[in-house]
Amino acid sequence: MRTGIFFCQTEDDRNLNIDAIAKYSANLPDVEVVQVFGPGQRPEITIICDLVHSNNLDRIVIAGEMPGYFKPVFTRAMAICKGNTDEVRIASFQEHGAKGENAIDRAKAVVACASMGVPFPLVAISGGNPVNHSTLILGGGIAGIQSALEIANAGKAVYLVEQSGTIGGHMAMFDKTFPTLDCAACILTPKMVSIGQHEMIHLFTRSKIESVSGIPGAYHVKVRQRARFVDVKSCVACNQCTEVCPVKVKSEFDAGISLRKAIYIPFPQAVPNAYLVDETKCSYLLSKGEKCGVCMKKCPKECINLNETDHIIDLEVGNIILATGYDLLDVSGIDQYGYGKFPNVLTSIEFERLTNASGTTGGKIVTKTRQINKKTGEEEWIFSPDGLAPKSVAIIHCVGSRNKKYNSYCSRVCCMYSLKFAHLIKEKIPDVNVYEFYIDMRAFGKGYEEFADRIREEGTYVIRGHSALVAMHNGHMIVRGEDIINDRLTEFEVELVVLAVGLIPSHDTKELSKMLDISVDADGWFSELNYNGSPTDTEKGGIYVAGMCQGPKDIPDTVAQGSAVAAGVLGSITSKKGIGHLSSIPLSEIEKRAKTIHTI
Amino acid sequence: MAIRVNPGFIDVLDKFGRENIQLCYQCGDCSAVCPHADEFYKFPRKPIRQLQMGLEKKIETTLEPWLCYYCGDCSDLCPRNADPGATMMILRRYLSSVYDWTGLSRKFYTSYKWELGAITIIGLMITLLFSVFNPNGIVTSLTPEGGVKVNEMFPVETVNTGAHIMLITIAGFLISNIIRMWYFTILKDKTLKISFSSYVIQFRQLIIHFATQVRFSKCKDKKYWGFHWILMSGYTLMFILIVGNLKWFQTDKIYLWYHPQRLLGYYSTFGLLLGLVYFFYGRIKKADQIFKLSHLSDWIFIVLLLFTTVSGILLHIFRIEGMPVATYYTYIIHMAVLVPMLCVEVPFSKWSHLAYRPFAIYFSELKKSALSIRNREKLFLKHN
Ligand SMILES: Cc1cc2nc3c(=O)[nH]c(=O)nc-3n(C[C@H](O)[C@H](O)[C@H](O)COP(=O)(O)OP(=O)(O)OC[C@H]3O[C@@H](n4cnc5c(N)ncnc54)[C@H](O)[C@@H]3O)c2cc1C
Ligand code: SF4
Ligand code: SF4
Repeated sequence: MRTGIFFCQTEDDRNLNIDAIAKYSANLPDVEVVQVFGPGQRPEITIICDLVHSNNLDRIVIAGEMPGYFKPVFTRAMAICKGNTDEVRIASFQEHGAKGENAIDRAKAVVACASMGVPFPLVAISGGNPVNHSTLILGGGIAGIQSALEIANAGKAVYLVEQSGTIGGHMAMFDKTFPTLDCAACILTPKMVSIGQHEMIHLFTRSKIESVSGIPGAYHVKVRQRARFVDVKSCVACNQCTEVCPVKVKSEFDAGISLRKAIYIPFPQAVPNAYLVDETKCSYLLSKGEKCGVCMKKCPKECINLNETDHIIDLEVGNIILATGYDLLDVSGIDQYGYGKFPNVLTSIEFERLTNASGTTGGKIVTKTRQINKKTGEEEWIFSPDGLAPKSVAIIHCVGSRNKKYNSYCSRVCCMYSLKFAHLIKEKIPDVNVYEFYIDMRAFGKGYEEFADRIREEGTYVIRGHSALVAMHNGHMIVRGEDIINDRLTEFEVELVVLAVGLIPSHDTKELSKMLDISVDADGWFSELNYNGSPTDTEKGGIYVAGMCQGPKDIPDTVAQGSAVAAGVLGSITSKKGIGHLSSIPLSEIEKRAKTIHTI
Repeated sequence: MAIRVNPGFIDVLDKFGRENIQLCYQCGDCSAVCPHADEFYKFPRKPIRQLQMGLEKKIETTLEPWLCYYCGDCSDLCPRNADPGATMMILRRYLSSVYDWTGLSRKFYTSYKWELGAITIIGLMITLLFSVFNPNGIVTSLTPEGGVKVNEMFPVETVNTGAHIMLITIAGFLISNIIRMWYFTILKDKTLKISFSSYVIQFRQLIIHFATQVRFSKCKDKKYWGFHWILMSGYTLMFILIVGNLKWFQTDKIYLWYHPQRLLGYYSTFGLLLGLVYFFYGRIKKADQIFKLSHLSDWIFIVLLLFTTVSGILLHIFRIEGMPVATYYTYIIHMAVLVPMLCVEVPFSKWSHLAYRPFAIYFSELKKSALSIRNREKLFLKHN
């Protein structure tokens, strides 16, 4: 079939060397003409028609990062030339994961298959290496937990590596989840407990991976487990050590709104359910054993060992799942909202802890109370259960998201959790005014639109218009915004402001991507092989992504991905085909396979 | 009332220097932060929406862009980097071209060839006029004080007549355009009922805002207002001295330095220079948001003003120092820049905002008072 190959680029295309691919394409069988359109250069219908006519083409291949975008004009040209429009074919580099080290070869292979009219996935099946049956999971959030349980329940060993002292991730911090308003702990805690008890799951908390080597199916991983200083097996969580510890610091689990000791348990349901020592704050450790050490003396089980050192663990695994989740954007730099300046401006995660029944106020929503620190004599604002309930609360969407100065992407869950907040506030404080400022309401999931409607009906003022600033006027907090639907400028006095803060990839993402040699996308999340077709695979065989670390998503989607990944892992173990790098099948091999199919 | 949509309207606006209108996703941050937006005039977001929708006829009636001084606070905050402040500025250009019935304004704003061409042609004509119809040539004898006899070289009567003709022409264009502005923004809206007394009472707004531009001081950064006011006052004063009172201003007699003629002249030169330095510096360094997008018309205007000012200063020095030849040529150059600047910039380009803006404020206050009466009536009806 006389074929013409047209390379079309959009302006934000990644830098594949198109000329090299074009040169290669020109030598493919039956290719009569190759034409490259530069980035932003629109293919003209007259040019295409001329080329089709003069070369008598019966097949057109449009190649590029996202060639589907250009298809209409080629189809029209083909129709004008009275050709078969079914023979306008797409060779999409993005769809078939032409990225990473073998990007060029893979792109060439994609073009080759399209020019021969062979579906790429039919020939690009990788395999080969035998697969070790153990799996490593990085991150013990809901994503990691879900995959771990699925794989372990199928009888395969899992090493779950979690950086903090407990598994649970962000979900453990929540009170209720949208849109069902289910109790988050009721869903999560049983899963966490199963992880702790499962015979096929080896849990390493306070751990990170230090190096990875090997090939798909057989990776060697070195894990460093930081000393916990408390023996997990003998600790009975009696809390006596914490009572005597003199050091107080902000609690990470409480998003900094309450204090914990240097020896502590992150939260009562933590798994493993044992205490640990924060080596960066403990007086004994910081003074190299000169000071303090009272907890050691107090512990009735004698399970505290402040001289414990880090452990290095070597693991052999076949597959690796990344489930490292996310962090929240630091909004203290966005001064229009006064975070860090006005005491009663909170981030979403701080609010989440405030409203949580297990939180510092026992779930009462209050404003901060001023007190004088006895030690330093400075004034500070703290949450206390006797604090005053706010009369009005503003919730501001898209703080640092969808904003070209911070994150240009949508964080996807904040519209919904903001609505959830409005509900929780209304539920707890009967006569409160809640103002919800949004730009676009992204209530995209099952039951979400209904949830949004319900919140409106509950009497929350849901205002179409982003609030521009929070300011202080004679000791009162003012939120200024435009109410676009009602065509007015608004200025509300509020006592509490909650910022729906944007989400960013977890702090280790870059480093991990280097260590594992997989790519991250423009926004810094781990790249999946193909957004539609292989959303949990990466370009490297045997390495998968699940949950938020691949991009913002809510719990249902995270759990779904957690399970999906498990299916991939288990498939690789049981199929007996082995695994290889999807992108590393040699070009010649693909050409060979394509030609055989082509000639059949 | 049905409103016609012109889907190609954004492309029209592109020609006035704007490309990013579609970037805006209508969050309203800009209106909320703008110190000039109020319950009647909500901008920049709303006019941007009208632009996006292609509501050409609606845009013609808006006064909002004139209430914006482009301090850039909105553009700093805009999450989409859509530069709403710049859009307001482009709309001012566009609106100037709507008000202008001759169509020249549109030509000058959308084609630098036209603008530069017009300036060059008028400049050449002036040069020709002064060098050909010049009865006395270069008069080398000096006045008893040792100054150049400017009035013999360039008889003040004749020049003055010319200046008056120019003044009347410019004023004719400007006034007729302002009447059109009045028509578009007030008269066309049949629902607005504005009483004669309202016109009289609100007239003070026109005077106040022309003289002080006090609204500009509402912007967060007050220095723009300061520099702008100094430049404007120097410019206006010079305009009055040259075009209105040339006989008093252009004398052979050299007065002592504290004579009002010289003091006023010095003040306005100082104002012009200070303003020019500031705006040049800003536009070159693109220091603040306000200067980020300099259109060619902005450049032409300050370059012409710079030439005029510098040649004016030189002229003054040459005359006092008794240098007839230098005075003669500098005078012609001065005129060859000044006249086209006034003829092109004041009625048709950048300078027209000197008139449009205070009138827009006047009209906006008129509209506001009419609207608040209407709102009150509505409320009254509702309650009864
Ligand atoms: C304020 C707020 C409210 C929300 N409310 C809801 C809701 O009501 N309903 C809903 O569906 N969704 C909600 N979400 C979204 C929800 O939090 C996520 O969908 C979900 O937590 C994602 O789970 P994850 O396991 O992917 O990530 P995470 O929960 O972030 O878990 C990642 C885990 O990996 C660990 N980790 C990170 N890096 C490493 C490393 N290098 N090595 C080892 N371990 C590592 C972390 O310590 C953490 O335990 C909310 C989000 C926010 C911010
Ligand atoms: S989910 Fe909603 S609040 Fe969050 S970034 Fe997207 S649009 Fe903004
Ligand atoms: S701030 Fe920017 S995006 Fe928001 S309404 Fe104004 S111009 Fe549009």
